[in-house]
Amino acid sequence: MNIYLPIAEISVNAPLLIALGAAVGFISGMFGIGGGFLMTPVLVFFGIPPAIAVASLASHVAASSTSSVISYTRARAVDFKMGGILAGGGALGSLIGVEVFRWLRVMGQVDVVVSLAYLIFLGAIGGLMLVESVGAIRRARQGGPPRPAADRRPIWLYGLPFKVRFSRSKLYISVIPPVILGIFVGMLSAIMGVGGGFILVPAMIYLLRMPASVVVGTSLFQIIITTTLTSVLQAGRNQTVDIVLATLLLIGGVMGAQLGARASSRFRAEELRALLALIVLAVGLRMGLGLFLTPEDPFVLMSGIGG
Amino acid sequence: MMAPLPPPSVPAEVSAALTTPRVQVTSGFQGARIVLYGAVIDPRACPCDVVVLVRGPEQSVRIARKIRVAGLWLNSRPVEFRGAPGFYMAASTRPLKTIASPAVLSQRGAGLEHLPIRSTGTPGLEVSDQAEWRAAIVRLKTQAKLYNADPEGVTFVDQGLFKSEINLPTAAPIGRYRAEIMLFRQGQAVATRSRDFTVEKVGFERLIYLFAHGAPWVYGLVSVAIALGAGWVASTIFRRV
Repeated sequence: MNIYLPIAEISVNAPLLIALGAAVGFISGMFGIGGGFLMTPVLVFFGIPPAIAVASLASHVAASSTSSVISYTRARAVDFKMGGILAGGGALGSLIGVEVFRWLRVMGQVDVVVSLAYLIFLGAIGGLMLVESVGAIRRARQGGPPRPAADRRPIWLYGLPFKVRFSRSKLYISVIPPVILGIFVGMLSAIMGVGGGFILVPAMIYLLRMPASVVVGTSLFQIIITTTLTSVLQAGRNQTVDIVLATLLLIGGVMGAQLGARASSRFRAEELRALLALIVLAVGLRMGLGLFLTPEDPFVLMSGIGG
Repeated sequence: MMAPLPPPSVPAEVSAALTTPRVQVTSGFQGARIVLYGAVIDPRACPCDVVVLVRGPEQSVRIARKIRVAGLWLNSRPVEFRGAPGFYMAASTRPLKTIASPAVLSQRGAGLEHLPIRSTGTPGLEVSDQAEWRAAIVRLKTQAKLYNADPEGVTFVDQGLFKSEINLPTAAPIGRYRAEIMLFRQGQAVATRSRDFTVEKVGFERLIYLFAHGAPWVYGLVSVAIALGAGWVASTIFRRV
């Protein structure tokens, strides 16, 4: 059953898109990530112009994140104060990101920059997470004590001004690192069509040293705010949000997210991280591959909206 | 005394019609096939050729070349070209170059190599390069089924009666299209006819499109509201399950 997308101006298979939304939603709920980093490449592969895929996904990510956050809130696993500060930075970042995206379209570099960003960020984060989580699994198997994390907090987290107490995260740190992190993630959200969870989750664990129990919920909470804003900005500035595409994806996405959030409790945290690391690494390498292979045609058409 | 004028010769004529003057793009749109049929009225009944050219709304085209920098394939600065129709079809009874001379074909814009595609004065693009870029545009548009040339696309089904098919892909641009039907005899166009048709979004698709472009900020807010609402509804439903 094919359906014509009014903004993307192409025809796609509707049940397939719903199933995809569900699969990505499941991963999203399970790992506490938006899942955009998986969905964008898949949509582009389906022939949807990258600019439209990126913009429409933001609202799909917002939907599945909302669905998960409500579950996590019930479990008191969301630090709203930390999430709010991250989101404040995220808002600024997505404003910058949408403008950068416009400029990249004019320069005709959207596809190259998006591939490069995937390769660098997903490759690096996936690699680091894999090393760390495999180490943790090995230590757990050998029955050794978990590495004490509390006393390994970097000094600079405490040396900076504007300290705030985050009671849910049991932290008393400066707001500067979360704000900068938020700006960075907001920019990526606009350019790569991702919520940024794959960067936020490790950054909150390894940089901010937040307790693992609140990381996922808080990350999703900030993702909702950032992607909501990105979505409105993309629609307003670039007219690239396809509401039909977004709705098809989110029908499956919200259900998948619920199931994923339930499934996550059955796995150990380090095993989940290792699995996520593998997925992240694979997607990053796949997206980056195109930069190294000789293109089939030496020329590439840029459609009016496709960037 | 003046010599008597020769009797006025009855001019050759061609007439044509389309099966679908309005192509409607709905949610089930999968492209469209339009049949163009017509008749040649030629008192001399000598062999003649029919050429059908269909042009879609003109769009400026941006195209970049892949360049290799330090092992990575990057895009060059895109170059803008004008004069490329959004859709183009050249169908004829036999190969165009056997019907008329290149000069005549070029003047009529008949054939993929005679499209008036030209760059909009981009500095740094050599004139000698233009042909290569033009060829790339035609090649890529042909791959997307937006351009095609069929030297056997016009067939005579009965004496003086011919037909041709116009296949619009899903990606065919929205707008006004014009089909030109030309009757060639001895390398010259002796009669022409043109027929217009439109491709337009209707119903829901049109509403969404107009909404997205007419009130983009409200549209953005609505799409986000749907997303957040759906997330909330799903979590409420699943809580009860």
